[in-house]
Amino acid sequence: MKMKTLLPALMLAAMLGTTAARAGTEITLFRFFGGCSDAYANVTDVSKAVGECGIVQVLTNKFNAENTDGITVKTQSVEWGVYYDRLSANVAGRTPPDIAVMHRSVLPNYQVRNLLLPLGKDFAAVGIDVADFVPAAREGVTANGEVWALPFDLHALLWHVNADLFIRAGLVDEKGQPKLPRSPAELMQHAATMKAKTGKSYFAIPSGADPMPSWQYLTWVWQQGGNIVDAQKKEALLESKESREALRLLDALYAAGFANPQHDYASAQQAFLAGEAAVLVNGTWGVDTYAAQAATGKSGLKNYVVRDMPSLYGREAVWSDSHTWVMPKQTKPDAAKQKAALTFLKFLNDNSLQWARTGHLPVRASVLQSARMRALPHRAEYTRTATIATALPPIQYQRALGDLLVNELNSTWLVQKDPDKALADSQRAAAAILRRSRRR
Amino acid sequence: MSVQATSVTPAQAPEAGSRNGSLARHRNALSGYAFLAPFLLFYGVFLLYPFALGLWMSLHDWEIVGDFREYIGFLNYVELWDDPYFWEALKRTLQFAAMTAPAATLLGLVLALALQKPLRIYAALRAVFFASNIFSVTVVTLVWAMVLNPDRGLIANGLRAVGLAPIAFLADKDWAMPALMVTSLWWTAGLPMALFLAGLQQIPPEVYEAARLDKASRWAVLRHITLPALARTTLLVVVLQTVMHLQVFGQPLLMTRGGPANSTRPLVQLIYETSFRDWRSGYASAISTVLFVLMFGVALLQFRLSRQEGE
Repeated sequence: MKMKTLLPALMLAAMLGTTAARAGTEITLFRFFGGCSDAYANVTDVSKAVGECGIVQVLTNKFNAENTDGITVKTQSVEWGVYYDRLSANVAGRTPPDIAVMHRSVLPNYQVRNLLLPLGKDFAAVGIDVADFVPAAREGVTANGEVWALPFDLHALLWHVNADLFIRAGLVDEKGQPKLPRSPAELMQHAATMKAKTGKSYFAIPSGADPMPSWQYLTWVWQQGGNIVDAQKKEALLESKESREALRLLDALYAAGFANPQHDYASAQQAFLAGEAAVLVNGTWGVDTYAAQAATGKSGLKNYVVRDMPSLYGREAVWSDSHTWVMPKQTKPDAAKQKAALTFLKFLNDNSLQWARTGHLPVRASVLQSARMRALPHRAEYTRTATIATALPPIQYQRALGDLLVNELNSTWLVQKDPDKALADSQRAAAAILRRSRRR
Repeated sequence: MSVQATSVTPAQAPEAGSRNGSLARHRNALSGYAFLAPFLLFYGVFLLYPFALGLWMSLHDWEIVGDFREYIGFLNYVELWDDPYFWEALKRTLQFAAMTAPAATLLGLVLALALQKPLRIYAALRAVFFASNIFSVTVVTLVWAMVLNPDRGLIANGLRAVGLAPIAFLADKDWAMPALMVTSLWWTAGLPMALFLAGLQQIPPEVYEAARLDKASRWAVLRHITLPALARTTLLVVVLQTVMHLQVFGQPLLMTRGGPANSTRPLVQLIYETSFRDWRSGYASAISTVLFVLMFGVALLQFRLSRQEGE
């Protein structure tokens, strides 16, 4: 008896289920940036959102609530540390998401293996203007004359500055602004002055198991006109004279006590906010947080300013990467979902300015130059970063190379590993990583 | 045994042809296998097949994403031999297991001896000490990362209170490994304790009574009665702990990421990174094979030792 009533009910439910699916299109979005769907459960007003997670979440909410095509974007938020491992696993298991966030540095891995949809024509069709992207961003997502991703931002290393400490140390220019060094020798001199006059460290750098010093190292390698890989020959160049010099400078700073090698991300940030260090080396993503902290008047940091990476070796360059959005190839392509995904990407691109509120630089030239952009706090202080932003050439396995640098470079100040030995070991390991990328 | 015993019955029936008998035996064997089938299926699908696939993968350049596979013979093993990261990880893994397994055994034994009393408070304490075992590695590492934090951690505050400088345990090459060990001990000592408690209950109370009549000291009782009676349990605990700690992964991954300067990266983390970050699943399979041989060796040792003891 029970069966008789249950069966029609199930069939009805199944039918309703399919009609519901037909009425709207549900697409999956894979991202990091943290999970905050509860904190922003029904918020669709983007101006109320703060930080990377908040802004991307509220943008998604807004799109779901307001789009007229019945599209629902279902977010799958993955913890940052395992994000790419999860994405790889999903692609390997042939259940890739419809949209995924991907660093520009990871893009070549997927693009070379033909795992992504080319997007150039589709962008033109939905009205995403590729010509509006700043060159650095456009180059990052272009390969073989085709566009493979929607660049969403440019994030780069900055020097976050406690201006009060610079004033106390007398390191100011004629306008009373913090004076930044223009050569390695000048940097050491300034750092010594800072220590002598204020008793504080010049630098706070996340140095334990953090990639921050290796990004500073890359910056200094590029400022000398060198690189750590030869993009054409796909060979590692870690024992070059530029590489040795960049590492020498880092080690000299730690050895002289101008930066605390024991700092991790949280404690370096803490030291800067407490007014214990004059310069925090960190990315664009920190700007709004530090500005907010300084504005409270309660932290040791009162007079916060931001500076573009100073050039110590003549050339201008600063480490950078980009968040981009890709559409992985599906085993069973679904035209409706593809169209829905593109509609969402167009929406994200239209809201480039909102995302820039995180501190990241927008990639659309029109937004970058807009008055609203310049009105955001401190943005006028690091306008050069968008033009001097530099990245590794589009080679595969950049995450492996990055981790390798963290391992080897950080050993030189954490456990006093001989710098030459560290670079030789890196060179050997990098050669093994790059060998495979030469084969395809 | 029972299969054979029942198969004899029809053969004993008069006039039953041998064909009939073999048919019955066949049928019995068949039903036997049918009963085994679920297990064999699971064993095959979840153990034999992945194991064979792992060996097969270790002979290839095999990428986890995409479909690039290329047979390269033993090249992965040759590269492994020359890879200082592998040797470093192997050394760290052995170091960790060699320190943690005996310590966990000893701690488990001490806890079991201290808590094997009938009062309710001891039952509660047993539950408390076992409880840490059921936490996930994420929770455990989070708690210990807070305890060990050089700025605001429990230990740092304690050290400051007595006028000592706090230590950055997880960023210090000499302290990172011991810190991981302590975390692991806190997490896993509950299981050896439970095994030892079970072992203690197997010892007949008469033996202790006799010892009391002989006025044996507590030390003599421990040395000549308790410990010998626990020999088999101890062996089991040591082997289980060794095999378990050879596979250490979550603690270093979450607390030190293998650092500082590679000083805490175990084999499983290397396997994970090689396969998922670098997409070199073939090479990772070769490392897994080495780890398997290592654990298999430990298990064989236990097998030999327990058999010797049986004789």
